[in-house]
Amino acid sequence: MNSYPPELLAQLAPVMFVAGLGAPQPPTSPQSPAPKPQDPFSVLALRLKDVLQAQRRPAVWQPDKSKTFQVVFIEPDVRFPPRKMPPAEDQQFLPTHSPLSPLTPSSPLYPDGLIAPIWIRKHTTLVPSVFVLFKRIYEYQRPSGGTPLDVPDPDHEREREAEERRRDTELAQEIAQRKKSTNERSIKLTVVLMASRRMLDDPALDTRLTYIRRQSGLDPRAALFVLSPVAPSEIGDFVRSLQEALWESALEYYTNHSKRVRRKRNRHTQATSAYASSISPSGTVAARPLRPEGWTVRYEYKMACFAEFRGEDEVALKHYQDAYTALQVMFGSTAILPPRTKRWAEARVLADSISFKICKLYLYNNEHSLALANHSMHMRKFGDLCRGWGIGEETFEFWGWVARQHRAFAELLEQGTRTTLKIPTYLPSSSSAASTIVSQPADSQRSAVEMESIRSLGLNPTQALQHPGFYYYMAARCTESRRSRFLRFLDDYSPENAASTPPSFENERKVDHLAIVLELYTRAYELFKKYSPTNTQNLGRQTLWIAYRIAQTYYESGKFDMAARFFERIAKTYRREKWDAMLVPLLSTWYKCAQQLGDMELGVQLLFELLAHGAHSADDEPDGIQEDLLAVLQSTVPTELERPLVVDLVDAEPLLDSSLVFWSPEVKVDEHAVFQLSLSASSQTIISSLPFSSLTIHFDGPAASITVVHKSSDDGTDSLVQRVDLGQSRVGSEDGDEEPRTIEADLRWRPHSTLILTGALISAVPATLTVSKLVLTLKQNSWWIELPMQSTSTRNGTEPTPQWLISLEPPKFLPIRRDPAQPVSHVTVRSRPHSVQVKLTHHSPPYLGEEYPITVEVTNTDDRELDIAADAMLHPSEVEFAVNSISADKDSWTNLIKDIPFGTLTPGVSAVRTLYLQSAGAAADIVIDVSIRSRVPKSDAVTQISPIAPKSPSLTADDTTETLRTLVVQTIDPIAVKHDVIYRRSMAPRPGLADLATYEAEFGADGVRAEATVSTTWTCVGPHGIKVETVKLIREDGSDAKVINCTIDEDAEDLVSDWLPGDEFGDRCRIVIGALAETAENAIPGPGMYEITWRKLLPDSGQGSLATSRFALPPLKPPVDELIALLDVPTQVQLHVPVPMRLTVRNLRQSGAANVVVQVEFDPADGFVLAGLRSGRVPLLLPGGEETLVWNMIPVECGYARVPRIKVTDRRMLAGGVDAQDHDGEAVSVVDVRWDGRSEDGQERLRDVSAGKGAVSDGVVLVLP
Amino acid sequence: MPPQLRLNAVAFVSPQNHPILIRTFSQPRQDELKYHYIAHTSLDVIEERIAAANATKSTECYLGLLYVEDVAVYGYMTPLKVKIIIALELSDAVVRDADVIAIFRALHTAYRRSVANPFLRLNAPVDNVADHAVLLQAGSARWNGFRRRVDEVGRSAGVVNA
Repeated sequence: MNSYPPELLAQLAPVMFVAGLGAPQPPTSPQSPAPKPQDPFSVLALRLKDVLQAQRRPAVWQPDKSKTFQVVFIEPDVRFPPRKMPPAEDQQFLPTHSPLSPLTPSSPLYPDGLIAPIWIRKHTTLVPSVFVLFKRIYEYQRPSGGTPLDVPDPDHEREREAEERRRDTELAQEIAQRKKSTNERSIKLTVVLMASRRMLDDPALDTRLTYIRRQSGLDPRAALFVLSPVAPSEIGDFVRSLQEALWESALEYYTNHSKRVRRKRNRHTQATSAYASSISPSGTVAARPLRPEGWTVRYEYKMACFAEFRGEDEVALKHYQDAYTALQVMFGSTAILPPRTKRWAEARVLADSISFKICKLYLYNNEHSLALANHSMHMRKFGDLCRGWGIGEETFEFWGWVARQHRAFAELLEQGTRTTLKIPTYLPSSSSAASTIVSQPADSQRSAVEMESIRSLGLNPTQALQHPGFYYYMAARCTESRRSRFLRFLDDYSPENAASTPPSFENERKVDHLAIVLELYTRAYELFKKYSPTNTQNLGRQTLWIAYRIAQTYYESGKFDMAARFFERIAKTYRREKWDAMLVPLLSTWYKCAQQLGDMELGVQLLFELLAHGAHSADDEPDGIQEDLLAVLQSTVPTELERPLVVDLVDAEPLLDSSLVFWSPEVKVDEHAVFQLSLSASSQTIISSLPFSSLTIHFDGPAASITVVHKSSDDGTDSLVQRVDLGQSRVGSEDGDEEPRTIEADLRWRPHSTLILTGALISAVPATLTVSKLVLTLKQNSWWIELPMQSTSTRNGTEPTPQWLISLEPPKFLPIRRDPAQPVSHVTVRSRPHSVQVKLTHHSPPYLGEEYPITVEVTNTDDRELDIAADAMLHPSEVEFAVNSISADKDSWTNLIKDIPFGTLTPGVSAVRTLYLQSAGAAADIVIDVSIRSRVPKSDAVTQISPIAPKSPSLTADDTTETLRTLVVQTIDPIAVKHDVIYRRSMAPRPGLADLATYEAEFGADGVRAEATVSTTWTCVGPHGIKVETVKLIREDGSDAKVINCTIDEDAEDLVSDWLPGDEFGDRCRIVIGALAETAENAIPGPGMYEITWRKLLPDSGQGSLATSRFALPPLKPPVDELIALLDVPTQVQLHVPVPMRLTVRNLRQSGAANVVVQVEFDPADGFVLAGLRSGRVPLLLPGGEETLVWNMIPVECGYARVPRIKVTDRRMLAGGVDAQDHDGEAVSVVDVRWDGRSEDGQERLRDVSAGKGAVSDGVVLVLP
Repeated sequence: MPPQLRLNAVAFVSPQNHPILIRTFSQPRQDELKYHYIAHTSLDVIEERIAAANATKSTECYLGLLYVEDVAVYGYMTPLKVKIIIALELSDAVVRDADVIAIFRALHTAYRRSVANPFLRLNAPVDNVADHAVLLQAGSARWNGFRRRVDEVGRSAGVVNA
C-alpha cells in the first residue's frame, strides 16, 4: 500500500473545519507537560480539540458508518483555495476552471492529466463540508467585591448594555465575514459561542443571541450553539450532537458537488466534439488536451469520491467501476495513453488504486468473492496490457507490479481482519444436496435462486478469499520472480545495449529484493501462524514451508547462520514425516550453509544423511556426495580430535539397511539362539569408497560386544552377498566377562551388496536377547567418525522384510513370518520346564451322596528341588439339580481349591494329597482341573538370578511350570428306586352331612376316600456293591394322606446287608387318603420317605464313607368316581350259615342327584338263597350321599358259588323323560370290593391280574362245608 | 458448459502422513517438487477440516477446496484415512464439487484396487489388514499398477465435465 499515494487509498469522510480553538497542534501535544492553563475556557478548548481529533483518524479500512467527521483545525481567518482561476481577459466567454483542472495551464494536470492526489488532498484538507467557528461571547466583568445581592446600578447597567451591544456587533461582523466566504462555496457555517455558566442563566442571553444571529446572517437552524465549560463526558455528548446536527449539511454539500460534476459530465458528453474542435487548432503535439475518455474517468472518479464522502458505498462502488472501465478503454489504445509516459504511469497508479478501492468496498459489504474476483481480474487485465506494452512476464517490472498488487491486497485484508473483516471458510456443502441439484435439468432461464444453488454446487477457486498470509506469500513469490528476472536481465546487461534498458532499471538496481522477499515471507509466516489451528503442538506444515522459503532467502542473501538454524528446525518435521523428496534439497542447501559457515562437523553429518537418502549432487553425479565427503575428510580437520564425531541418523533414513533375524522366537536356557544380521546398501546408496574401519555389535544384556574389523577381500568375487560367521557368544555366563572378540570382514558396500553376519547366542538364564546397537566406525586422517545404527532399520517408515539366508551360492533367502508379538529381532530365552509326574487315583464312578476320594500323587522327576502346590477347579455342571463340590479336607466344600500344598520335594520324592468330591441331586458328568505348579524354591532361585539381567525380571521371577490334569467322571446314583401304587376304595361309611365329627381336626374325620398300597423296589445299579446299614421309613403324615403301616417296620433287618449289583429289595406300605383330598386337583405328596444309609463296597474290600440316600414316597393321585355301587361279600362262607351281602351305592358326583334302581337278577343256579329286596328304588341320592342295601345270603352248595348278579341303574337322566319305561337308564358299575384295586388312571389292576374274566368278575364266594 | 478441469497433480498420503504416491501431470515436469510441497502443506488444512468434521460428526470424505496458490488444491480422505490431494489448474470458472468428487472417487477406486493386489503382501512379515507399510509399498517404484491407474484417471479427468 505504501507504494501508492495515501490519498488515493484512504477512506474518505466528511471534513469539518474547526476554528477558534487555538492553533492547530499535532495530536500528541495534549500529553505534553505544558503548564495547564487555569482559564476554564482554555481547558474547554483543549478538551474540545482532543475529542474532535479522536472522532475519526484517517485510515484505509474504515467501514464504520457512524456520523463522524474528519476534523481539521485551522485558524479562524483561513482562506480557501481559489475556486476558479480568474478569467483571462481575452476569453471571458469561456467558462472558468479550477486551478487543478487540466484546462488550467498552471495546473499540474495540464493539459491531459486525469486526476491527481492533490485533488483529494484539496477536499480532505483545504475545503471542508462544514465550518465550525468557536467564539467567546463577551461577558461583562462584574466589579470585584460586588455581590449578586447588590442593587444594580442603573448607570452601570446602561454602560454594560452598550458595551455588550458593541462587542456583539463586532462578533456578528466577524461571523458575517466568515459567512460570506463559506457561502461562496455553500459550506455550512456553525458558530459555537463559549460562555460561562453564569451567562447561560442570564435572561438577556437570548436577546443577545438573536441579535448576533440576525446581524451575522447565520442560518436559523443548527448554526449557533452556546457552550459553557463542562465535564469531559459532556463534551463528548456535545461533539456528538454537533456532528449529528451538521451531518445533513455535510451530505448536502457533497451531494451538491456530485450534482455539479454530473451536470458537467452530461454537458461534456454532449459537447465532446466541440471541445475537440475548439482545442485542436491551437495545440501542439506535446500539449494535446485530455481526451473525452479521460474526462469521463475524471468525472466518474470525482462522483465516486463525493459518494464516498457521503458514506454511500454502493454509489461510490458504481462510480469507481465506471471510472475503472473508462480507464480500461484508455489503456486499450496506445494512442490515447502512450506507454511509459508520465501520464501513463499516473494512470496506472490511478487504475491500481481504483481497483484497490473497489476491492475494499466489496469487502466492506462482505462480498469476498467479488472482491477477490476484482483483484484477480485487475491483475489479469493489466497483465494482458503489460504484455502489449512489452513489460510482460519475462520482465522484472511486471513481477514487481504483480507483487505490489498482492501486497496491497494482503495489507488491506490484514487491516480489515483487525476490525470487521472475517475470512470465510470453504467447507464443502454436503454431497447429497449437490447431487440433487446436479440432477435437475439446467434451464436456460436462471433465477437468482438458481444462481445461489450453482454457488452451492461448487466455487470458483479464483474467488475463494483466503487469509492475508497467502497474499503476502504470493507477493513474496512474485518478488522472487522479479529478482530472478532482474538477475537474468543483469546477466545480459552491458553498457553497450544500455539504450534498450527500461527506464526503471536504475531504480531496480537500488532495490534490495531479498530484503523485500524476507519481509513479505516473514509477514506471511506470522499470519500463517496466526491462522493455523492453535491445538497443534508443533509448527504447522504451511508455516514450515514458509520458514523453508525464509531460510532459502537467508541463504541467498548470505545469512548462512540464520538459514542453518531454520533448516535444522524444518528438517525435524520433514524427517519425521518421511517426505524425502522435500528433505533432500533442504539438506543440500543446509550443507552449503555449513560449508560457508565452516562447520565441518555439521557438514559431515549432512553429507552422511544425504548419502543415506541416496541423493545425487547438484551436478547429478551419482557419487558426487561421496566424493564431497571424501574430499572433506581429506582436506579438513575436525575441531575435536580426542573424541569421535557421532553421526546419529536417528530420525533420518539409515545409511545401511540393517535387519536382525533370530531363527526361532524362543529358546530354552543353554540352547543356541542363532541369528543373522544383514547390512545392505540400497541401490541408491553409493558409499563403496568410504573407508569404514570397524563395525561393533553391542548385545542387549551382559554379552561381550563383537568387533568386525575391515579386511579387504581381494579375491575378486563379485558376489553381492558376503557371509561372515561371528561364532557363539555366551550371555550371563558365570565365569566372568568374556573378552570382546574381533572378527575380520570386508566392510565396503557396493550398491545392492549385503553383508550377512551369522552367529549364535547362548544364555544361561532366562532373558530377552537382541542386538542393542551397531556402531560403524570410520577413521580417516584426523577424522574419527562413529555411526550408530539400529539393528533393524526402518526406511520410509517400514521395516525390512525379515529373511534368512539359506544358500550363499547362489544367494537364496527364506522369508520369515512371525506373530508381531514375537518380533524376529528378539529371542526370548526361557527356563526349562520342570519335570513333574502327576498321578490321579480314584474308584470310578462316584456315587451320588458319597464323599468320593481322589488321590493326587506328585512325583518330582526333575533334577532340582521343587516347591509344589496344586489348584483344583470343579467345572460347573450343566445338569439341572446336580450339586457338586470338592474339598481337600472334608471341611470346606467349594468349587475351587487353591494352593493345596505338597511341600518341597527333592528329586525322586512323591507326595500324595486327597481331594474329595461330593455330588448330590442328579447324576452328571464331573470335570475337575488339577493344576500342579512347581517352582524352584526361593533361596535357590535368588542365587541364580541376582547376577544377571535385571532387564527381564518377568522371565526370571516367574520360573514356574504348570502341569495340568483334567479328571472327567460320571456320577451314578447307586440305588435305583421304583414305586408301584394301587388305590382301593374305602368301605368305611361316610359321616353324615351334618355330622359334628367332621369338625374334628383328627385325620380321617371326614371319612376315608381311598386306600393306597405303595410297593417300593430298590435295585443296586452301580458297578460296585453297597453295604446298607439302616433302612427306615420316615413318616410325614399330612392332612390328606397317612401311612398306616409298612413291611419294613417289621422286617428292616432283612434289608440291612450287602447289596450287590443287581440286587433288588422291596417294601410295601399302606396309606389312607382322606375324603377331603378328593377336591385337590393335584397329586397328594407322599406322606413320608425311606432313608437308607450305606457305604460303597470298594474293589479292595474296603468300604467307602457312610452315605445316606433318601427316597420319598411317590405322590398320590387316586382315581375319581362318580356314581358307584360297591358290593361287599365275604370271600369264604360256611355252608348254610347266612352271611350278609352288602351293596353300597355312593353318589360321588360334584352335582346332580342320583335316582338309583337296584335289581337282583336271582338265578336258581346260584348256590345261594337270598333274602332281601329283589328290585327296588333307592331313595334319591344327593351328591355326597350313600345308601347301603343288605341282603342275607345263605349258601346252599359247597365250592365256588357265584354271587347273585345285581344290576344298578341310574334313572335320573330319564326322570322327566317321556319314555321312561322303555329305557332302563344308565347302568351303574358294581364293584366287588374284594377285587378293588386301580392305578392312578383308573385302570383295574387286581381283577386283570387274577384268573380270567367271567365268573370272577361277577363275584365268587368259596363255600366251605 | 463449464470448462474442463485440468488436473495438475495427484498426491496420496498415508494415515501417518507419509507420502504414498505423488504424480504430476502438468507440463513441464520440472516442478514436480512443488507438488510435494503443496501436498505436504495441504495436510495442515486437511487436519483442520477433519477436526471440524469430527466436531459436526460428519462422515463426508470430500474435504473441499483446501487452498489456492497458483493452483487450486482439493482434499479427500478415505474412510481408512488415506488422504488424496489434487491440484487443479486455476481457471476463472466455478469448479463444481460434483466434478471434483468424481475425480476423487476414481482415484480412490484406483487406490483400492491397487492395494488389493495380493502380491503386495507377498513378503510382508505379518498378515495385518491395517498394515500401512504395505500401503506405502503400493506407491513405490516396484509396483507400477497403481501408477498406471492414477495416470489413467489423470488422463480422463480432463473429460469430466458433464
